[in-house]
Amino acid sequence: MTVMKTFWQQAILGPLRDLGQQALASLSSLIGILSLILLGIIVGWVAKEIIYRVLRVLRFDRLCDRLGVGLVVERSGLARSSSYLAGEIAQGLIILTALLAGLNGLGTPLTRNLVERVFLYLPHLLAALLVMVVGVLVSRFLGRSVLIAAVNAGLPSARLLAGLTRFFVMVLTVVAALDEVGISRTTIIVTFAILFGGVVTAAAIAFGLGARDLAHDLLKSQFSPKKRPEDEDTMRHV
Amino acid sequence: MAEDILKEQVAEKLSSLGAVEIIVGIPSYNNARTIGQVVKAAQAGLLNSFPDRKALVVNSDGGSQDGTQEVVEKASVDTQALMVVRHPLHPIHRLTTPYHGLPGKGSALQTLFRITEAARARALAVVDADLGSITPEWFNLLLQPILTWEFDYVAPYYTRHKYDGTITNSIVYPLTRALYGRRLRQPIGGEFGISGRLASHFLARDVWNTDVARYGIDIWMATTAMAENFKVCHANLGGKIHDPMEPGLDLSAVLVQIVGTVFRLMETYDLVWRNVLGSLPVAMLGLPFEVTPEPVTINVQRALASFQQGVRDLLPVYEKMFAAEQLRELKLCAALSVDGFVLPDELWVGLIYNSALAYHRRVFDREHLLKSLMPLYLGWVASFARQSENETSAQVDGRIEKLCLVCEQLKPYLLNQWPLQAGEKG
Repeated sequence: MTVMKTFWQQAILGPLRDLGQQALASLSSLIGILSLILLGIIVGWVAKEIIYRVLRVLRFDRLCDRLGVGLVVERSGLARSSSYLAGEIAQGLIILTALLAGLNGLGTPLTRNLVERVFLYLPHLLAALLVMVVGVLVSRFLGRSVLIAAVNAGLPSARLLAGLTRFFVMVLTVVAALDEVGISRTTIIVTFAILFGGVVTAAAIAFGLGARDLAHDLLKSQFSPKKRPEDEDTMRHV
Repeated sequence: MAEDILKEQVAEKLSSLGAVEIIVGIPSYNNARTIGQVVKAAQAGLLNSFPDRKALVVNSDGGSQDGTQEVVEKASVDTQALMVVRHPLHPIHRLTTPYHGLPGKGSALQTLFRITEAARARALAVVDADLGSITPEWFNLLLQPILTWEFDYVAPYYTRHKYDGTITNSIVYPLTRALYGRRLRQPIGGEFGISGRLASHFLARDVWNTDVARYGIDIWMATTAMAENFKVCHANLGGKIHDPMEPGLDLSAVLVQIVGTVFRLMETYDLVWRNVLGSLPVAMLGLPFEVTPEPVTINVQRALASFQQGVRDLLPVYEKMFAAEQLRELKLCAALSVDGFVLPDELWVGLIYNSALAYHRRVFDREHLLKSLMPLYLGWVASFARQSENETSAQVDGRIEKLCLVCEQLKPYLLNQWPLQAGEKG
């Protein structure tokens, strides 16, 4: 009888008690995680609203519109305005931080490793984001510079030149951003080099073969320009 | 350091000359071919018109390499009343040619104003060194209003061909007249006379190391004199023949320099021009000349083609500057053939006002904005040339007058749109 009682306590009740204790500990951890996430959601929402309203008062949207970022935000449908997007980014970062803090609280090697990797990766992600924003601004600025200069020079393909300028700057930007986040670095660089080299070679061959006379006339007019009498004017603008 | 050397040089000259009442300044840079005639005209003019007043001719040179200073010294009949100085010419002056064709003109004028102040002279006349049509009478016309009638700023008035000075006729004159209420016909003429007190006033301003001094000094002086209520008048100088503008000078860069300065000054003086409606005539001194100006030709077809391409290709840029109605009208104008092409005055003035507003609000990069005006300006040129093809000078003047009146009539639109300063709200 005593043996049976001991067996019952050691083989059945003991493990069950341990399991219950472990479940209780896990449950408290889970509640802790959920509380942290809930807190993150609340703090994130409050931070988003504050940032959105403060940026609106500071006319951040107007600044972004001038820089051309507003149009990108609007067209991409990311958010209803640039200041709202800034608020949403802040909210996302706060919630992500809360989630990672919660996971870290579990204390298992797996979660600890995951948190560590995310935190190491985050600066690269932010840098890539910054590269993209700067790239968009530079591409718009250079595109507009080329467009105005080409129109003022009377080049018929002004819009094409401006578009190509924007395209190449954006390609460079995307390559730099992807390189920063470490996505198939070598593949991207090789693909870009082949693509870029191919386009340039194709253009050179097409121009050399298909427009030999045009190239001749263009170079001739460049180095020994001769104006027709009807093109002459003697305007003094000032 | 350079200032100290200049002070010593001026003090030495003044101690040998005694009190100087009049100064004639000739800024130069590689003008050996023409400056001799200008120096001779200046000394003859001073001798004829002001024989009993002590005068000094100052050549402020930017470091000419063609023997300009030697020519000046040889041409001078009275070396005692001649002073040759050098104004600093920074590398940027040599790299970027301003619209008036003289690198570092702002620096040269600053030097001349300093000499005027140091000499306590009553009047200063400044003439370009590349003039081919200068006569001794010019100095009487530029200086007499200051010495006799206490004027502070004497602007030149030249007899010009109807197609000459199209930026002045289309933008600078109508806009400055509507803004400041003074009908100063050629505010970027090149030659001018100023009183000693205005020279000191200019010297005290903090513009000498800015783009205003580098590229927009003429319009800055004229605007400052008008906006700050100095007495201004015109001197009728007759025809002007000078070396042609730098051949490589880009028209869009000229627009950036001139229109950029006018727009920038609108910000400086917005409290002044917002209280001005209508305009008053500016006194004209000197008898009208019978001069046949140098002929000027305009390639209307090419100017119109540039306008049409601008409206077609720069639409995304113009959408940020102009109202929907203006864009619609621009498209309609661009669809016209050369025979029927007209850019209405109301549309043109609206475009100028909206450009000034967009510049003020920094809708996008300011240099882009100013450069994008070039096709529109050429559109105005094409429209003006086509309409005035068979018109006399008097009829063309009437046409410019009509444009100015439209500019004055539409000024309330600009006033309504121009943002109030923080202290004025409520």
